[in-house]
Amino acid sequence: MRAAITQTLLLLLATSLLFACGRDESDTEQLAFYAFGTLVDLSLYPAGEYDVEAIGTAVQEELEILHTSWHAWEPGSLGRTNDLLAMQGEFSAPPSVLPLIERGREMETLSDGLFNPALGKLVAAWGFHQDEPDGPPPDEATLAELLDDPPRMQDIERNGVRLRGTHPDLQLDFGGLAKGLAVERVLELLAERGVDAAIFNAGGDLMTLGRPSERPWRVGIRHPHGGVLGSIELDAGEALFTSGDYERGYDWEGERIHHVIDPRSGRPSQGIDSATVLHHDPALADAAATTLMIAGPDAWPEYARKMGIEQALVVLDDRIEATPALALRVQPGPDREPFVIRELP
Amino acid sequence: MNRGLLRWGDILIGTLAAGIVVAAFTLAYSPSGDARVLVINQAGATPQHEPLDRARVLEIHGPAGITRIEIEPGRARCADSPGRQNICEASGWLQAHGEVAVSLPNRLTLQVLGTEPGFDSMHY
Repeated sequence: MRAAITQTLLLLLATSLLFACGRDESDTEQLAFYAFGTLVDLSLYPAGEYDVEAIGTAVQEELEILHTSWHAWEPGSLGRTNDLLAMQGEFSAPPSVLPLIERGREMETLSDGLFNPALGKLVAAWGFHQDEPDGPPPDEATLAELLDDPPRMQDIERNGVRLRGTHPDLQLDFGGLAKGLAVERVLELLAERGVDAAIFNAGGDLMTLGRPSERPWRVGIRHPHGGVLGSIELDAGEALFTSGDYERGYDWEGERIHHVIDPRSGRPSQGIDSATVLHHDPALADAAATTLMIAGPDAWPEYARKMGIEQALVVLDDRIEATPALALRVQPGPDREPFVIRELP
Repeated sequence: MNRGLLRWGDILIGTLAAGIVVAAFTLAYSPSGDARVLVINQAGATPQHEPLDRARVLEIHGPAGITRIEIEPGRARCADSPGRQNICEASGWLQAHGEVAVSLPNRLTLQVLGTEPGFDSMHY
């Protein structure tokens, strides 16, 4: 009996030490490449199970197709659609653009118009329809003209695959939605290729497919002002999207001009440095992150509720505010203040 | 339990074993904020691991030019990188586990890791 107890203890000890040592061995395979105009990172679980190169090539090819189709200012399906919408005649829409239009309509309705993909002309006027955004910002007269009866998604009539624009200033720009839909598409592709568990990260926005068998996914969240905001454990099928004023922008006469334009003022949104949303629908998470940033420090919980978002946080100058559901899940980084909890109305 | 089955030596071994088990788990899982290694992840390349043990400067060539990385014991920073917005440089010294700097023009991420398990992915 003594020998059995001693052996059991020694076995437990050896197993634990082996398990502890094994933590240094990564159980995932990483793949990084440039696609969709950003840095893409793919983590596949378990390591050694997949033809990583073939999967990487397939994902890259899919993303290049989507990037070309959905680009807001380079020639492609969306560019052609914008040209035809401006002519206000009926035309057959490229199939790749229809899901964007439908989800765009849905997001505009959910956000009470704060997320409005029909305002491409306004975004372009601020100098964001070029690879290196630049000024000068639009003058008051141009802004007043763009904000006088601005276009909305309802200004597109749809009959099957036939579309017609009914507003002369309608120009589609799906920044804040296209990446979410691309992430959804890539996860479908990974599942079709037999991948059980993965994290697909496109320029920092990410979604999980499945999860490792013995543990959750571990994701670090970078603070927009530098350092680590915190970390979170993700389960299968969770998307984490952030919209921030640091992503695209330029300085003009001492002022930071960023790419998230508030359709109410026609100017870059103010008051929230970044908004992060966790949801199982990546397109909704993407659009909601943009919407919360536009909604501003007072109203963001109200818009989160309108859009059915329970897990969100926003970074302001002096504090981080979070919904109760997300505050429970994010472990703040070292030396970070606890989150200020904002209940949803 | 029948005390007759265990002698003082058994109890000593059991206590020591349990102590080592607890210590092993504590060492393995307790967070360590000190950065030990810099992971340079460039699109299309195998991740490069650089220990943060001595001062040196690395130059990484990318599609937009050269990213210059300064390493000092326990920390690293993106000292100079192509791009007008200076997003990579603005991240400052990376010294706590998980801190990351990104250079989109040169398609690379820099992340420092400590002894705790690394993140599967970094949200930014």
